[in-house]
Amino acid sequence: MKKFISVLLVAAMCFSLTACGNKAAADSDSAAIKANGKLVVGITDFAPMDYKDDAGNWVGFDADMAAAFAKSLGVDVEFVEIDWDNKVLELDGKTIDCVWNGMTLTDEVKSAMECSNAYCNNAQVVIVNKAVADKYQTVDSLSELNFAVEAGSAGEAEVEALGLNFTPVKAQADALMEVAAGTSDAAVIDSLMAAAMVGEGTSYADLTYTVGLNSEEYGVGFRKGSDLAAMLNDFFKASANDGTMEACAEQYGVQAALIK
Amino acid sequence: MGTLIVCPDLYIIGDKMFAEQFPIVFNALNVGFLQTIKLFFVTLLGALPLGLIISFGSMSKLTTLRSITKVFVWIIRGTPLMIQLLIIYYFPGLVLHNPIWGGGEGGRFGACAVAFIINYACYFSEIYRGGIQAIPQGQHEAGLVLGMTKSQIFFKVKLLQMIKKILPPISNEIITLVKDTSLARIIALQEIIWAGQAFLKGSQGISGAIWPLFFTAVYYLIASGLLTVLLGALEKKLNYFR
Repeated sequence: MKKFISVLLVAAMCFSLTACGNKAAADSDSAAIKANGKLVVGITDFAPMDYKDDAGNWVGFDADMAAAFAKSLGVDVEFVEIDWDNKVLELDGKTIDCVWNGMTLTDEVKSAMECSNAYCNNAQVVIVNKAVADKYQTVDSLSELNFAVEAGSAGEAEVEALGLNFTPVKAQADALMEVAAGTSDAAVIDSLMAAAMVGEGTSYADLTYTVGLNSEEYGVGFRKGSDLAAMLNDFFKASANDGTMEACAEQYGVQAALIK
Repeated sequence: MGTLIVCPDLYIIGDKMFAEQFPIVFNALNVGFLQTIKLFFVTLLGALPLGLIISFGSMSKLTTLRSITKVFVWIIRGTPLMIQLLIIYYFPGLVLHNPIWGGGEGGRFGACAVAFIINYACYFSEIYRGGIQAIPQGQHEAGLVLGMTKSQIFFKVKLLQMIKKILPPISNEIITLVKDTSLARIIALQEIIWAGQAFLKGSQGISGAIWPLFFTAVYYLIASGLLTVLLGALEKKLNYFR
């Protein structure tokens, strides 16, 4: 019995020792990433920012810029698909080094992460059925509608601020499905996504977007206190000056939204 | 249940028609299902023997070992597997500042495997304990009288009887496990539900497609159907003694 307890104690001690050892080593984020030899980028499948090409490689405006940033640091880039709800957990748990996926810079995001400067404009727009779109062209007209919004999204923050009725759902696409199925009257999603997903020739031909509720900006999130955010700002500045950022944006059709 | 009344053209929405979508989706779901199956077998391979060890712990004569095992089983059975997955994957990096799993797919699978093995081993251990304790004490005594050692009695006399007794409840857990693997998506393991959901949001040029997610149910049904037949046949095979 004594043996068993001593084994348990030794195991516990080993655990706490490794814990201390690593805490001391991780002083600067950029040093840790260089030691690791790679920048792990947390993304979701979100065209045109991050998506897989036919060969199965991650491409998109964000993916290409992330790869270029990693190259400028002299490390490899690794893209990891994450659950968007767990992005702060993934960062703090050091399973990823940054979130680079068309992330709206909200107050929540800014308080939980070390964010880069904004690099892209976006807006939250209202999605309704085409048949009733004429009735809902102003913010005031929205009060009678039941909204579906992505939980934790910028869209949810907007409808909450306006005091509208809403149901939080798992993803922006789920919010669209709610409107298409008639279980909600309207949804609020990113304009970049709306442009790609609703209206003529898209998945939801019967839906359209009306009012823009706000304008917002995309940024890249790092671990709180990371020195990489400042390094990325310098990188953004340099690639805006030499035109590589603009060229990359044009490749994916987001040049109009670019912040220079 | 208004959501279930979906007009048929929802299934052929998008720039790509159903016939065009199907090969892409089928491919992606197969890749996802491979992860599901991998997790399923790795869990069984680990949890079936580990459960036996835990069951010995919970039947030990040593009070301390018995108590520790029982508290452990209580904690694992008393908390949701989803929370256990989150703790096992994120805890090392968050609290110990040592992200042992890493961010890649291998690390995520490793964390899932550990969480599932521990969780299922605890359930199995209680089933084993029930099976072992259901065997009459007289057989144990008879074995001792015949001069058999304890391990001989366990492996030569009790084990097969125990296996026969516990097969139905174990089958139950095994079929539950097929479906529980879907919980692994919480730490972004790309199993079949993840693969199906990807087309809702948009992936590989298909977005807002609802049917792939529902279609994953077919995979689970086939898998659990095969397992039911297999485990039923095994049960029949053990029917030669009562």
